[in-house]
Amino acid sequence: MLEVKDLAVAFGSVAPLSGVTFSLAKGETLGIVGESGSGKSLTAMSIMGLLSMSDGRVTAGSIVFDGQELTTLAEPAYCKLRGGRIGLITQNPMTSLDPLKKIGTQVDSVAILHLGMSKKAARANTVDILATLRIPEPALICERYPHQMSGGMKQRIVIAMALAADPDLLIADEPTTALDVTVQAQIIRLLDDLVKQRDLALLLITHDMSVVAQTCDKVVVMYAGRAIEQGPVLEIFDDPQHPYTQALVGCIPRDLGDGEKLTSIPGTVPTVLNYPSGCKFHPRCARNQDICTTEQPELVRNGDSAVACHFAGAST
Amino acid sequence: MSNLLEVSNLSKTFSSSGGPFRRARTMHAVNDVSFDLPKGRVVGVVGESGCGKSTLARLILRLIEPTKGTLRFDGEDLRAKTSAQMRDLRAHMQMVFQDPYSAIDPRYTIERAVLEPFIVQGVKPSGGGAAQVEDLLNMVGLNPGLADRFPHQISGGQKQRVGIARALALRPSLLVLDEPTASLDVSVQAQIIGLLEQLRDELGLTYLFISHDLSLVQYFCDEILVMYLGRVVEVLPDTNRQACHPYTITLMNSTFVPDPKQRRVIRPLEGEVPSPFDLKPGCAFADRCPQVNEICRTETPELSKHSGHLVACHNPI
Repeated sequence: MLEVKDLAVAFGSVAPLSGVTFSLAKGETLGIVGESGSGKSLTAMSIMGLLSMSDGRVTAGSIVFDGQELTTLAEPAYCKLRGGRIGLITQNPMTSLDPLKKIGTQVDSVAILHLGMSKKAARANTVDILATLRIPEPALICERYPHQMSGGMKQRIVIAMALAADPDLLIADEPTTALDVTVQAQIIRLLDDLVKQRDLALLLITHDMSVVAQTCDKVVVMYAGRAIEQGPVLEIFDDPQHPYTQALVGCIPRDLGDGEKLTSIPGTVPTVLNYPSGCKFHPRCARNQDICTTEQPELVRNGDSAVACHFAGAST
Repeated sequence: MSNLLEVSNLSKTFSSSGGPFRRARTMHAVNDVSFDLPKGRVVGVVGESGCGKSTLARLILRLIEPTKGTLRFDGEDLRAKTSAQMRDLRAHMQMVFQDPYSAIDPRYTIERAVLEPFIVQGVKPSGGGAAQVEDLLNMVGLNPGLADRFPHQISGGQKQRVGIARALALRPSLLVLDEPTASLDVSVQAQIIGLLEQLRDELGLTYLFISHDLSLVQYFCDEILVMYLGRVVEVLPDTNRQACHPYTITLMNSTFVPDPKQRRVIRPLEGEVPSPFDLKPGCAFADRCPQVNEICRTETPELSKHSGHLVACHNPI
């Protein structure tokens, strides 16, 4: 469904993203995980073709969606895809809905625009979708305004808008970060069900390794604008090869045995303006050697997974 | 072990006065909360947004006035103190805030920010200001060379370390930590938690740790208070204790485990936290509870012993 190859992005002379490669099939969930500034949201924006809005551009690589090259696609054609065959769920439901329009009108407009439905048919479609999202009394909800709803409910409306034009690919950028844990569990469960029922391809962008562990089939771990390790979720969690992935799994708080401590990574994530030379993780890495400061490791394939580290595998 | 802090029947209600288009409403932010914090322990308060955990933190330092209840810190009745006496006492009880970005004045250098507690309290830093700042920055693992930087020149994790250094400046015995890692990346969160553990051991601090993250609280705390809509619904005296309150159990089941082999079918709770305005009688959790029956809708359950610890539920599991 989606094939991203060697994607690189630049804003002027600054290159915050390079060498991102992954593919996503129907019915599959791919997680892109990383800390702030790792380039995960930028990857999503590139796929949605939204870079030009902030003066960014794709400098290398390709994005192929269902056989169609997106990096060279003209804006009018992109407009049809965006919100149509590619749905987007954003992080903050409080800001992605129009506070002045009724819920129904907002969701209807997607189907009217992309599927050419009449107002009446679009409303029926909306009510249908709201019902599948387990929203009680969907017809009544359509007459409400966003401020009358809770955060979890608003996030469901945002999901409904993403689904209204019956997309093939859904991009969810931190869909649960702004929500409470019990509501997060509801939304994640919902997305999981949608992937199965509608045979969707879901690209889930998150900073939370636990969410990845519970929902994704494949995962791409990003650090400072590069994919540093990727592969099937089971393999990556079972036997992470990159020291960053190992630390990322180790620093998730959980109930450890007495005396056991969380792993922590010294230092901070570099910003795009002060990326270190060589491997971008080397200043924080315990396995740091001379070669790491000079040479950027390439992503090396090994079966289904791949890792970019000069000393992959060896545990710390 | 003596109690550093004793909280009993603490409540806070906020009222909005009515107007031509509004009726007057009362919000129970914190409702009848009692607990003890023994010296050297780490007590965690966990709950979703709106459960009153941050209000509780502010009440304990009397940053906002409680509506009723008593607060004893090191044997002294806090509510009987004048605001000048309270200011002196706060040298012994400090708070670390959630958002390090807004907790430090952007026009202050790090040095000035760390020295602020001394200025507020009118105390001369022992050994002089510069030496004291160097000491404190070293203590929280920051390079003392950062002292003349401004907040916008350092990272979020570093800012939170400055927040901790500032809280430690007057050598308090109690630190109230209000979501100290909520705005940080996970790898940085682990650093800050490690630092807090180390400081507790070195300085013999007592912590009240407030968080929405149950797994973090389970990792870091000795004892856990679970709050829902302003009330403590369960007190887990240690982290291995089996939870009995349906809400605590739901909270545990909603927490994702970072292990794809332990994938479980999450049966999420329907609905969301109800409005804290004008609470209905009965248990606040009744509308979402799988165990609900008649009595839950009429009578508010009190905390009482069940399988060895305190639970506020008519039908504990």
